[in-house]
Amino acid sequence: MNPEDLKYHKEHTWAKVSGKKATIGITDYAQSALGDIVYIDLPELDSTVEVNSEIGEIESTKATSSIISPLSGKVIEVNEELTESPEIINEDPYGKGWIAILEIGDAFEMDDLMDASEYEKYVEEEKK
Amino acid sequence: MRLAILGAGPGGYVAAIKAAQLGAQVSVIEDTEVGGTCLNRGCIPTKTLLATTELLHKAKNIEEYGLEISGQIIPNLSKIMERKNKVVSIQVKGIRSLFKSWGINLIEGKGMILGPEKIEVKKKDGSTEIVGADKIIIATGSRPAQLPLFPFDGEHILSSDEALSIKSIPKSMIIIGAGVIGCEFAFIFSELGTDITILEIMPRAISLEDPEISEILERELKKKKIKLMTGIKITEVKGQHDGIHVYLEGGKEFVAEKLLVSVGRALNSDAIGLEAVGVQKGTKGEIVVNEKMETNIGSIYAIGDVTGRLLYAHVASTQGKIAAKNVMGGNEKMDYGVVPYAIFTSPEIAAVGLKENQAIEKGIKVKTGHFQFRAIGKAHVMGEITGFVKFVSDETSDRILGVHIIGPHASDLIHEAAVAIKSGLKTKDIADTIHSHPTLSEAMMEAAEDVHGEAIHVPKK
Repeated sequence: MNPEDLKYHKEHTWAKVSGKKATIGITDYAQSALGDIVYIDLPELDSTVEVNSEIGEIESTKATSSIISPLSGKVIEVNEELTESPEIINEDPYGKGWIAILEIGDAFEMDDLMDASEYEKYVEEEKK
Repeated sequence: MRLAILGAGPGGYVAAIKAAQLGAQVSVIEDTEVGGTCLNRGCIPTKTLLATTELLHKAKNIEEYGLEISGQIIPNLSKIMERKNKVVSIQVKGIRSLFKSWGINLIEGKGMILGPEKIEVKKKDGSTEIVGADKIIIATGSRPAQLPLFPFDGEHILSSDEALSIKSIPKSMIIIGAGVIGCEFAFIFSELGTDITILEIMPRAISLEDPEISEILERELKKKKIKLMTGIKITEVKGQHDGIHVYLEGGKEFVAEKLLVSVGRALNSDAIGLEAVGVQKGTKGEIVVNEKMETNIGSIYAIGDVTGRLLYAHVASTQGKIAAKNVMGGNEKMDYGVVPYAIFTSPEIAAVGLKENQAIEKGIKVKTGHFQFRAIGKAHVMGEITGFVKFVSDETSDRILGVHIIGPHASDLIHEAAVAIKSGLKTKDIADTIHSHPTLSEAMMEAAEDVHGEAIHVPKK
């Protein structure tokens, strides 16, 4: 269920890298744990974000949660559609529910991320 | 005892009634209207407007509640203002009739202290009356502070007083100052459809509150598409044909139809004759009083905003009661230790007691507890789930030091904490008290429980 072509961060975010660009979002596990998402505080366009740092916040009917960036880079695009319809994240976390696109610097940060099967194991551990 | 009170705001009118109850012969001098800033230009009119805009907000989202509406919901500003004026006038009449029932003599005009026992009143009809008194209480209040860079013109550059009587809903408004007044107005006008930009010198909105509360409020501003720029410095303000232009250091420029200046309050301690009788003033112009509300002049007391302590109506009223009792021979002292207060943003903010950082600065080892409103049923029933309750407690003794709330009905919920802190209660006392279900007050109980990691509606950490 977690796409094979994505990389996963332990704070339940994902990155899809193509060349110098990485699209990021939250995982299916994160959206289902949060429940109905009612608001997202998107990262600021043109801002520089650090790996493992908070780049925004998500509010659901149950909780508020930080969005932790899986990579470092510059925010070159944000998914404005989420401002009006944050529930898209619940519906399609790996597709239409993407959060931002980063222009990435250090490729080695990728090595710290998990692949789909590693992430699935990690989530199983978390659930225990 | 002949008592003369200068000013009929929430300090002066309460002092007048209390003194009359205790048998004084009371005259109150007021040059605008009884009720002061609070009733005529502050608390009551803004909250009346807020009642309208909150309803408007619900109406815009009426489908969430399973209702359908045919046709548009259109705010009619003149009708909104009419309702506001009606609410104010009911309260004004209420105070006037209380005065009448207690035999309080209301003298309408501008008072000037001529001596320790003498006030001259210039009445509206041009005549002058000399009021003799054994004691005087000064309760002249405060007014919107003005800065040289943006003097009020009542047309484009507005004070909060003037913003309460505008004739049409502005398309755009720049608000200088993200304090209590600026933020309250931002939510009101934004709901009416005004495009709002708030400019603030400090690094965050409502910078005197707990930083966690500022963070939530800033997000709520964002949700309402109210722009907030913090840490800015204004270099120039210019009125042009297309509106008021505000220039910031660093070259940024903003333009809007109206500019609302809410940068604090100036104290009304000038031109009331203090110098002539030698009443001592402090550096901000505040009248210096002791905890019995006595000035340095034996027969003269001062209360309310003009004493420059905490500029709240309820503090003024409390000071008023204390001054009145002391005028009548009592020995009452003012205690500023437990003063609850509320900020009427959407959602509301309220607090009492110490903030976490204040407690730490005092060298106290603190423990905090949090509870989010979105975790209780009633908040979802109401459709108002944003916010939290935060307890600050003494780690060693478990005594409650402070409680801070942002969320629905924060202004009502805070008083449970006020009673608890005034009574020296422990966090456990709140946690062990049954709170009825389904109510917002459950958030108080759960936040208290969370201090010890014992809240029920919080996932395992």
